[in-house]
Amino acid sequence: MSDLFSQPFEDDEPVDARPRERRVVTVSQLTGSIRAVLESGFGDLWVEGEISNCKRWNTGHLYFTLKDGGSQIRAVMYRSAVRYLTFTPEDGQHVIARGRLAVYEPKGEYQLLCDHLQPHGLGALQLAFEQLKKKLQAEGLFAQERKRPLPVLPRKIGVVTSLDGAALRDIIKVLRRRHPNAHIVIRPTRVQGDGAAVDIVRSLRAMGKVAGVDVIIVGRGGGSVEDLQSFNDEAVARAIVASPIPVVSAVGHEVDFTIADFVADLRAPTPSAAAELVVAAKDEFCRRIDSLKQRLDAGMRAGIQRRMNAVHTLRLALEARDVRRRLAAIRGRLTAGDGRLYAAARRNRDRADARFRVLVGRLENLSPLGVLARGYAVCWNADRTAIISRASAVTPGDRVRVTLNEGELHCDVRTTE
Amino acid sequence: MDPTIKDFESATAELDAIVRKLEAGDLPLEKSMELYERGLQLSRFCHAKIEEAERRIELLNERGELRAAPAALGLAGDDERSKTR
Repeated sequence: MSDLFSQPFEDDEPVDARPRERRVVTVSQLTGSIRAVLESGFGDLWVEGEISNCKRWNTGHLYFTLKDGGSQIRAVMYRSAVRYLTFTPEDGQHVIARGRLAVYEPKGEYQLLCDHLQPHGLGALQLAFEQLKKKLQAEGLFAQERKRPLPVLPRKIGVVTSLDGAALRDIIKVLRRRHPNAHIVIRPTRVQGDGAAVDIVRSLRAMGKVAGVDVIIVGRGGGSVEDLQSFNDEAVARAIVASPIPVVSAVGHEVDFTIADFVADLRAPTPSAAAELVVAAKDEFCRRIDSLKQRLDAGMRAGIQRRMNAVHTLRLALEARDVRRRLAAIRGRLTAGDGRLYAAARRNRDRADARFRVLVGRLENLSPLGVLARGYAVCWNADRTAIISRASAVTPGDRVRVTLNEGELHCDVRTTE
Repeated sequence: MDPTIKDFESATAELDAIVRKLEAGDLPLEKSMELYERGLQLSRFCHAKIEEAERRIELLNERGELRAAPAALGLAGDDERSKTR
């Protein structure tokens, strides 16, 4: 570098070599020369350092200082370049800046005209990730409204993953436990290394064409950031978006987020979880059906119970007015009435009897028979139809009968008086 | 299956509506019996649907053909299956 600096001065030798000629230059001329030297002499630079005095102006340009333990250089990044930054530069960040030297003549200052910044330590992968993420997000591919619900009862579950990975084993295990009848279609797919992204894209497309597959799990088990890279591939992301069937992403562990996770219809933290999620709706559905069935039965039972209660109430009311009851009541009253009548009749009869007996007694006193016993006799006409109480009632020669206390006399009338 | 039932989404929705009507409880007996019958039919349909899927593991090959997966693949699943049997 010192060569570069010394070169132009040596060539022109304006100051030291020919001092006696006193070749005087203006500030502007000098600055212009410096500018020419600096701007053409260094070309593109990658400069590593720490950001300080970082300020974003209203114009959108970003001004900051790059420094390290021993030195610093002012830097500027124009709005046009700032726009493409995948992170927000802040004081204290350790970065690598790409740019070239520029001289700001009005102030006689040189600075680094920066066209790209990247965080030091974070690899290109991370940068690419951030960039793609922003791009797809801007396209609205992460929007919740775009995401499709999983089928309630998946007919066939498509699985796009490696045939010999832990992910597949986990998925099958969970599905077998949670949904023993599950129909699983596996598309063996390379999920890491060269060509993995291309293979994943092809698998997703192929799975989309299988009749009956109504949900796809795409993923792999945990691994290094590099291992998961194929799921940060733009083509993979777009294949997930383009899938005619809802896609569940299941990449790595819970902490791993890939671009595939952002565009998938549902992101599962792990492959096992993906399998759980795919059948979760089924469980939910079963619970719902069971609960509806219970309510259906209960509703019907309640209806029947209500009606039985109503019938019971009605029956009570009806029984209160029952005709038979009333008849029985009448019959009862009648029976009671009969008794009274009978008793009355009986009383009457008894009274009559008593009177009769008295009468008979009295009658017996009057009875001619009783008189006869005392020696009287009764005289009848011949055929015993009339009592003869006057002598004139008969004429001599008539026959009469005379009743005595004991026996009868048949008599001929000889004379009358 | 019953031709009057389209799919389980509509079956569930219909069942839900029937349950609500029954629970409201101001229906004539005839009508509620009718609804109950239909509700039973719907819930049976749904249960049948749940188990309808076929227990199977297949591989989708490069030519887009489905082939039965090698037994080793389903190992975990088969273990579980034999346990539950």
